[in-house]
Amino acid sequence: MIESQLRELFDQLADGAAAHSRVDTQLALHRGRARLRWRRACIAGVPVLAAAAVAAIVLAVVVGPFRPGAGPVSGTGPLAPRQFSPLIPNVSFGWLPSGQSLDQGGVRPTDAFLAAGSAADFDGWRVGVYARGHCHLTGPATGLTCTAQKPGGFSTQFGERAPAVAGRSAFWAGPNLIWQYARGGWADLSIPVASFSALQQDTRVQAEALKIARHLRVGAATPRLVFPAQLTGLGSHWRINNVHYTADGGALRADSYLLTTGTSRFFPDVGDLGIWTNAPYFDIHPTSRTATCSPHDPATKNTSETINGYRVVVKQMTAGGHPEQELCAAHAGRLWVDIIEFGRHPSIGVVSLFRHHLRLLGTNPADWTKDPLTVSKGQLPGGVAG
Amino acid sequence: VSGSRDAEYCEYVAARLPSLRRLAAVLCDDPQRADDLVQAALTKLYVHWGRARAADHPDAYARTVLVHEFMRERRSLWVKRVSLVGWVSESPAAAVDHDAALDLRAAVAVLPARQRATLVLRFYCDLDVDRCAEVLGCSPGTVKSQTARALESVRRALGPAHDAGPGEPSRRAGGGRTSTRSNRP
Repeated sequence: MIESQLRELFDQLADGAAAHSRVDTQLALHRGRARLRWRRACIAGVPVLAAAAVAAIVLAVVVGPFRPGAGPVSGTGPLAPRQFSPLIPNVSFGWLPSGQSLDQGGVRPTDAFLAAGSAADFDGWRVGVYARGHCHLTGPATGLTCTAQKPGGFSTQFGERAPAVAGRSAFWAGPNLIWQYARGGWADLSIPVASFSALQQDTRVQAEALKIARHLRVGAATPRLVFPAQLTGLGSHWRINNVHYTADGGALRADSYLLTTGTSRFFPDVGDLGIWTNAPYFDIHPTSRTATCSPHDPATKNTSETINGYRVVVKQMTAGGHPEQELCAAHAGRLWVDIIEFGRHPSIGVVSLFRHHLRLLGTNPADWTKDPLTVSKGQLPGGVAG
Repeated sequence: VSGSRDAEYCEYVAARLPSLRRLAAVLCDDPQRADDLVQAALTKLYVHWGRARAADHPDAYARTVLVHEFMRERRSLWVKRVSLVGWVSESPAAAVDHDAALDLRAAVAVLPARQRATLVLRFYCDLDVDRCAEVLGCSPGTVKSQTARALESVRRALGPAHDAGPGEPSRRAGGGRTSTRSNRP
């Protein structure tokens, strides 16, 4: 009896779905991409947890080519950086297997990542590097916990000690190699194999992983990122943060980043990524002739207007109870520009940012800038997240 | 290749969006929140698209993502702040406006998220116990017990008058907004 009533009720509720969808597939796609960048590379340790648990069991009976290494836990040598500047990659591959090349990377004060190979299938090598003090061994070197700017961080159990990397401790943890790249700093290399057992049986891939780790360069001596747009006339309290970049020809082109200030606040429980309020998200990259902003959504408050000669769409929405404003320009000086900001009382709106503060630099890499944020004369230099 | 991945994803979402929105509306009992839920679930689906498209049943995969997102959101603080006991949204479904239906809706509204999801999977999606267990990530036994508890809670909330059928006087489920309506003579 009650079951049939429930069926009837549920059918009614299903029929009550709003006639006009507010769901924005393009937004899901953009956020999904952003999430992949951080989660699949920098935060690769999350899935490691389960795999490592299996690894710990399997390795107890492993014999043969997958034997423990002998790397000592070292307390000497150079210190890892305390934080990373988001304007430079901070980390670079010194060696990659044949056919692999740098595809993309990301950097924020607490951590940085690099991804090589095919971004489309996410099957390449990925390395996440954590600044000093953000990772801690658990127990007597049985695992590692890393904390990072949200969303981020991971915890993993080591499966087995790996051969030392430049004399420093290294461990296999599922299909990952985790090692101390400098005193107080840890790195996590995600290895493109289907499973831990596949890695176990593939000594060539193990050797490649160790070689990548040994040649990885961490530090400030990497070329600065280039930005196809520049923010001008903002106060010195603003900082560029969470920069994602793409290897574009010979340049490392920043294509998405966050602009934060002292009042920016992270809400981890909104959506599946969490959101920053009072912190505009920028997504800027060369556009294509057919590019469009996300499809017209009748349930969203959209307005189209022309700003600085460019056609833009401005949307007002809510996400998790937070007002959300978005400005999208599909063809702004041959660039695709999307600015999203959450929060009830943002310090500066997306329209004002686009109208007064964003200088678009076109698609010629020679015109791009290494200084995406310039401050007014007399103010302290900004641009690096603190 | 990235473009084809995205195109494939967009094509899938365009085809399945109506059914995902309907399922979300049943889970949330709030068309507005339902779209937020679908929005969040689609982001997750994109992240796991490689796995979803390789799955034997991509629809089942998408449904699982949606249901998990529903249960996760229900645990988060911002939802708790607005999810009042006995709350029933003002949605077009309320057009079928008789006390029994409202009481049933209110009774279901106060169920814990997992129990509600179980009922939706069993009686809206018509999944058997094993499939339901796969979606919820629990054992078939847990599905059975969750279903039994949920049905018992609903019966208890509706009270003995429930079996008298629609239109008969009945007690309400909780202390929320619905009390005035369901106590109408």
